[in-house]
Amino acid sequence: MKESYAPRGRDFPVLVIDRLTKSFRRKTALDQVSFTVPAASLTVILGPAGAGKTTALRLIAGLDRPDSGTVILAGQDIGSWEPKDRNIAMILDNLALYPNKTGYENIASPLVIRGESKTEIERKVAEIAATLKVSHILKRLPKTMSGGERQRIALGRALIRTPNLFLLDEPLSSLDAMLRIELRAELKRLQRDLGYTFLLATPDYNEAMAIADTVVMLREGRVVQIAKPQTLYDEPTDRDVARFVGSPQINVIGARYAPGESGGNIEIADSRLPVPPHLQTTFASRACDFELGIRPENLRLADPSRAHITAKLTDIEPLGLKSALTVRNAGAELRLLVESIVTRDISVGQSVGVEVTNASMLLAFDPSTGRRMSPE
Amino acid sequence: MKKPKLELVSLKKEYDNATVAAVDGIDLSIEAGETVALLGPSGCGKSTTLNMIVGLEEPTSGDIQIDGQSIIGVPLGKRNVGLVFQDYAVFTTMTVRQNLAFGLEIRHAARPEIVRAVAEVAGLLDMSDRLDVRAKDLGGSELQRVAIGRTLVTKPAILLLDEPLSNLEAAARLAMRRELRRLQSEIGLTIIYVTHDQVEALSLADRIAVMRAGKILQVEKTSVISERPDHIFVASFLGSPPMNLLKGHIEAKDDAMVFRQGSFSLPLGGTSSGDAVFAKGPFTLGIRPESLRFAPKETAPLTGQVLLVEPRGPEVVLTVKIGAVQLKVVAPPVGYPVEGATAGLAVDLDALVFFDGRTNRRVDVCQAGRPN
Repeated sequence: MKESYAPRGRDFPVLVIDRLTKSFRRKTALDQVSFTVPAASLTVILGPAGAGKTTALRLIAGLDRPDSGTVILAGQDIGSWEPKDRNIAMILDNLALYPNKTGYENIASPLVIRGESKTEIERKVAEIAATLKVSHILKRLPKTMSGGERQRIALGRALIRTPNLFLLDEPLSSLDAMLRIELRAELKRLQRDLGYTFLLATPDYNEAMAIADTVVMLREGRVVQIAKPQTLYDEPTDRDVARFVGSPQINVIGARYAPGESGGNIEIADSRLPVPPHLQTTFASRACDFELGIRPENLRLADPSRAHITAKLTDIEPLGLKSALTVRNAGAELRLLVESIVTRDISVGQSVGVEVTNASMLLAFDPSTGRRMSPE
Repeated sequence: MKKPKLELVSLKKEYDNATVAAVDGIDLSIEAGETVALLGPSGCGKSTTLNMIVGLEEPTSGDIQIDGQSIIGVPLGKRNVGLVFQDYAVFTTMTVRQNLAFGLEIRHAARPEIVRAVAEVAGLLDMSDRLDVRAKDLGGSELQRVAIGRTLVTKPAILLLDEPLSNLEAAARLAMRRELRRLQSEIGLTIIYVTHDQVEALSLADRIAVMRAGKILQVEKTSVISERPDHIFVASFLGSPPMNLLKGHIEAKDDAMVFRQGSFSLPLGGTSSGDAVFAKGPFTLGIRPESLRFAPKETAPLTGQVLLVEPRGPEVVLTVKIGAVQLKVVAPPVGYPVEGATAGLAVDLDALVFFDGRTNRRVDVCQAGRPN
C-alpha cells in the first residue's frame, strides 16, 4: 500500500489518516477517523470541545499511540516512529518566547540548535520576518513588544523550520478578537506563500471557514463531514452541523410536506410555503413531517397583512451594521438577520410579518435522524 | 433595586513612578439602569478601570462617584459594586446553592434572607432545578451563570463584568448574551461590561466607550457608533472586517475630486466646491467593506487582483490588491471573482468617511458639494 502514496507533485496527500481509533479509560476519544491532507493545503479540524481534535493531532505527532489505525506521512507509515523522527512541527496555543532573547534570537533558535550556518540563519530569519512584518522589531526584547508582535515572533520561530507538516492546535485562541482575525488571514497567506502544509484544529467555525481549503468536521470522536467551507455552510450533513456553523444559529422548525399542485406546499408555523424546486424531488408523493432549516439571513420582515408568517417581535440584538431579531408565534420561534436600519422603525412586542427571501437555500432534515434530506 | 449613577472624573492610574499611565485621565458618566461597554484591545486600561471602581486598585488621581458621592477610600467590599471575572471563581466542590449563598453568609445575613435571595436569583438565572448540583459537574455557561448569580445575590448597585464570556464556546456565548440581555431588562441593573470583542459590546451595551492606551477615544450609543466612528482607531476596531483606511490627499481634477494615495486613486465625483477644505489634507479615507461592490472592469473606478477569498456563510470577504493598497470587500456568497482574478470595484460614495490625517479625528467635509 505504501507505494501508492509516493510523492507525485503538489496534489499527493502529505498525510493520510486511516481508521484512527483511541480510547482513554474505556472512553472513546477517536472512533475510526479517516481523512487526508493534500500537500500545500490548509485543512482544518473543526469541532466543539471534546470532539477529539487535540487527540487527533497528538496521535499524528506521535505524542500518544493509537489503539488502531494508521498514520501515513509522505508515503510512509510512521505509526512506530518517535515524535522527533516524524518531521512534523506542532504549534500550540501557548506561544511562549524566551524573555531574555531578542526577536531575532527567538526566531533563529530552532536553527541554532540544529547547528545551521550563520549566513543561512540570517537569510531565513530575514525572509520569515519580512513575511510576518516584524523586521523592525527583531532587535527588541519580548517585554517591549505588543501582544500581537510577540505572537508573530512566536509564529516566526515555529514556521522557520521546514517540516513535512505543521500541526496547529488553536494557535490563535488566546488573542484578542481583532488580532485573531488579522493573524488568521496572515497565517493563511504565509501557508500559501511558503507552500506549507497545515493541519489546524479549532472550535471556531468562523476561523475554519475563513482559512480552510477543506474542513474536517469532528463530533464525539467521529468525522461527520468533510467539505469545502461554503459547502459545509450551504449543505451541512445534518442538523447539528447546520447549528454549529453559522451565527446567529440556523432556525430549525417542525414542518410538514403536503403534496399538491406544482410541487406541493411546506406547512410551517401556521402558514404555508410552496416547495422550492431543489426540494421537490426530496419528498415522496405522500405527506410527511420533517424539519425545515432556514438561515437567519434568508428571512426578512414584511407587511404582516401579506407575509407568509406573522409573529411577535421578542428580541432585537444589535450586531453593528446588522441586527438579529427574534420573533415568536404559536408555531415557532424564528431568528432573522437584518440590516440595522430596519430596527429603527420597529420595537419589541409589536406584530411583524416574516418572509423567506431565498427559498433555494432552505434545508430539510429528517426529524428522527437529523440528517439532511437530499434530492433522490 | 436602587439604581445609582456612576461617574468617573479625570480618573488616572500610573505605574512605575509615573512613567506608565495605564488609565490616562478618563471621564465617563453612566446613567442608572444603563449598560456601558468598555471596548478595547488588551492593555488599553479597561480592566484597570474596573479594578479601581471595585476597589482592587487605588487611582493615582481623579475621582469615582456613585450617586454623587466619592467612593475613593471606601474599602473593597463596602462599595456595593459586584465584579464578575472571566475565570468564574466559583467554588467547584460546593453546590450551586452553597455558591450562591456564599456572599451573604460571609456578610452574616439572616438564614431566611439567604434562602429567599438564593431562590430569587436561581429563578432569574433559570437554575432553580440545579441548586443541588456540584459546581464541578456544571458546563462552562452554567458556571458563568453561577458566577454572575453569586454577585447578584448581594444586590450590588453596579455590576461590573470583566470579559465574562471569553471562556465560553461560541454557541454558549450566544445563549449567554441573550440571557444577559434578559437579565438587564428584568432587573434594570447598571452594568459596566469590559470586553475586547465588539460583538459582545454591540449586542449588550446601550453605549460603548472605545479605549486605547489608557484613554477613551469615543463614547457613543451602540446603535450609531458603527456608522459614525469619530476616531480612526474606533473605525479600525469596529466592523467585521473593519473599515478600509487609506491615508492620502484629495485633489481637484478638472471639475471633480480625486483621492490619492501613491498610485492609488479614487474619483470622488461631483464638483470641486469642497476645495478649501480638501486642500488642507492629508486625510485618511475610510471605505466600509460593505460599500464596495464588484463591477465590470471596463467601467469600474477601481481594478485590482483578488488575493484572498474568505467564505463566511451568508457572505464572503475578499482581499483585493490595487497597486500598493489592499481593500477588504464584503460580497454575497455567489458570483464573486476567484482568487487570482482581476476584478473591477465600484464604491458607494455616500458611505465614504474622512478622518483628519494628523489628529485622526473624523472630519465632516463638504464632499462633492453635498453636506456630509
